[in-house]
Amino acid sequence: MTATQRGTPATGVPSRAFRHISLFLVGLAALVLCAALSLALGARSVPLSTVADALFGDAHGRDALVVTGLRLPRTVIGLAVGAALGVAGAVAQAITRNPLASPTTLGINAGAGFAVVVAIFALKVDSPAEYVWFAFAGAAGAALFAQALARRAGDIDPVRLALGGTVLQLVLLSWTSAVMLLNQRTLDEARFWLAGSLSGRDLGVLWPVLPMLVLGLLISLALSPALNALALGDDSAQALGVPVARIRLAGGIAVVLLAGSAVAVAGPVAFIGLAAPHLVRPLLGGDHRLLVPGCLIAGPLLLLSADVLGRLVIRPSELEVGIVTAFLGAPLLALLARKVAR
Amino acid sequence: MKSAVVAARRRILVFSGVGLLALFVLLTVSLTTGEMSMPATTALRALVGLGDAGDVLVVQQFRAPRSVAAIVAGAGLGAAGCVLQRLFRNPLASPDVMGVTGGASLGAVAVIAAGASQTLIPLGALGGGLLAALLLGAFAWRSGLAVTRMVLTGLAVQAGLAAAVNLMIVRFPAELAGSALQWTTGSVYGRTWTQVWGAGGAMVLALAVALVLHRRLAVLDLGDDSAGALGLNTSAARLQLLFVAVALASLAAALAGPVTFVALAVPHIVRFLTGPPTAASLALASLTGAVLLLASDLVVQHLLPVEGLPVGAVTATLGAPWLLVLMFRQSSPVQRSHA
Repeated sequence: MTATQRGTPATGVPSRAFRHISLFLVGLAALVLCAALSLALGARSVPLSTVADALFGDAHGRDALVVTGLRLPRTVIGLAVGAALGVAGAVAQAITRNPLASPTTLGINAGAGFAVVVAIFALKVDSPAEYVWFAFAGAAGAALFAQALARRAGDIDPVRLALGGTVLQLVLLSWTSAVMLLNQRTLDEARFWLAGSLSGRDLGVLWPVLPMLVLGLLISLALSPALNALALGDDSAQALGVPVARIRLAGGIAVVLLAGSAVAVAGPVAFIGLAAPHLVRPLLGGDHRLLVPGCLIAGPLLLLSADVLGRLVIRPSELEVGIVTAFLGAPLLALLARKVAR
Repeated sequence: MKSAVVAARRRILVFSGVGLLALFVLLTVSLTTGEMSMPATTALRALVGLGDAGDVLVVQQFRAPRSVAAIVAGAGLGAAGCVLQRLFRNPLASPDVMGVTGGASLGAVAVIAAGASQTLIPLGALGGGLLAALLLGAFAWRSGLAVTRMVLTGLAVQAGLAAAVNLMIVRFPAELAGSALQWTTGSVYGRTWTQVWGAGGAMVLALAVALVLHRRLAVLDLGDDSAGALGLNTSAARLQLLFVAVALASLAAALAGPVTFVALAVPHIVRFLTGPPTAASLALASLTGAVLLLASDLVVQHLLPVEGLPVGAVTATLGAPWLLVLMFRQSSPVQRSHA
């Protein structure tokens, strides 16, 4: 009530600021709601009051155990992974200046997938917790290679980055299917990880990559004003005195840190990185100072709602979140595409 | 200026000659080698029905359809990629991005899941590819086809269909998962003449239409306003071109499954080699696609230590170095803005 009264100023600028603040608040509220639902819903649904009791340590018994033991880690991991993917997508699209770019385009998911499949095949590891470092190493290796491919005269050429990354991704994907087709056991174990899922992971999976994830987020937030200059084109940005090459390098590193940690924890969850910026842009505009924080909220919002939905549609079994994000994101993107004016 | 055009034309002629020669050599090799290898003359004679009956059977019934399938599918993918990249004005556009690959995979996997006979799989792939295109058209059409909307919608369609494939592969029992993965990677193993003639005939038709429509593509390159001022109905032209590209890619998927990479990389390879796109370079792209896919199939059959890998597992490995070398060599900022 009071908010609406305050929010009808005559001038344009404050009303826009108000619109942005209220959008952020709505986003945050939706995120909190999603997190609460993620704690409460599942094969065995728990009332919200019990969830609250369990979180504050007042409740004991099976329901409380489900909430604190299984769903709390899962929700926290979902928040972290979603935030990382959303921000990584925004930065990747900014540094390549290509709306089709996403962490996937830089070969990150494919690198992680290949490393994990090879580890399953050759070293016989067999649980998501053991995959973490292989996945991160594969993701980082692939992304750094893609960026090395794109370097020219000290700068990263955006077209080359997108193209080289996609080529690298296709090579790695073909090697991944070759290894999986060679060996039935590898196929059987890897296909579940490759679908991308939040289930069966405890916080021990998140801790090792958390510092890298936070560092990536900080770099992205610090870079966001400079990303605006990059959007003007290299020549104009250079003329404004913006160190284009250095910004693009820093952005690339941020994407590697963020998307690498995300894929290490949850497996290759496609689409969040691509869809989050496209979802936020029509609401907040193309200003990266708003876009990056917007994706920080939109990413986990998308991921958590997909995860909750995946738990509900075929109860008591559940759908992998990577599959749900794609199913959920696809019509969303199609709708957004219809709204794009030209 | 004129000399530049002449030089470009000469370059295209030279590369077409090289491509045809390579295709002939690869075809001969693929006909002569295998479980039962034979000299090249015997194989070529057997191809037209002369010589030992056993040789004729092996060459005509087993080796030739497979090789021709690879050539036809490669040609279709190369041309489809060429048209799509110019249509979407995006160097990353390919059947993978716009949903045709996902549709074809889903069609094939659905046939496998239904337990229907293997011969229905290509039809499933064709139907899936066309279905994806219909979805794309339906979602993206809104009093006209704008490029951004087309790209985003294509991505959306691809994501949804790929998720459906993924869902099936995760839920399948292990042995079905293997055969589904085999199909969704793309393979030309065990093609028959019936399939090859059916898809091949349609493919020739589609390629001809693509060459005829090339002028509209060139006009669309000028941008929507200029193209409209020249009297072109941009949305209708875009729809026609989109339909042709989808037909090319779906027919290729019906023959070889959703082979990735060829459609993405071949147009870039051709552009790096011959400069700005023309109708002739569209033809050269289909030739290059055919060479790449046939060569990959030879590698799969004879050079790898393991048996039974699908050809799609090799196309990228074989094609990527070419593309990357070319990418490294081209460095003028003019070409950069074309990419």
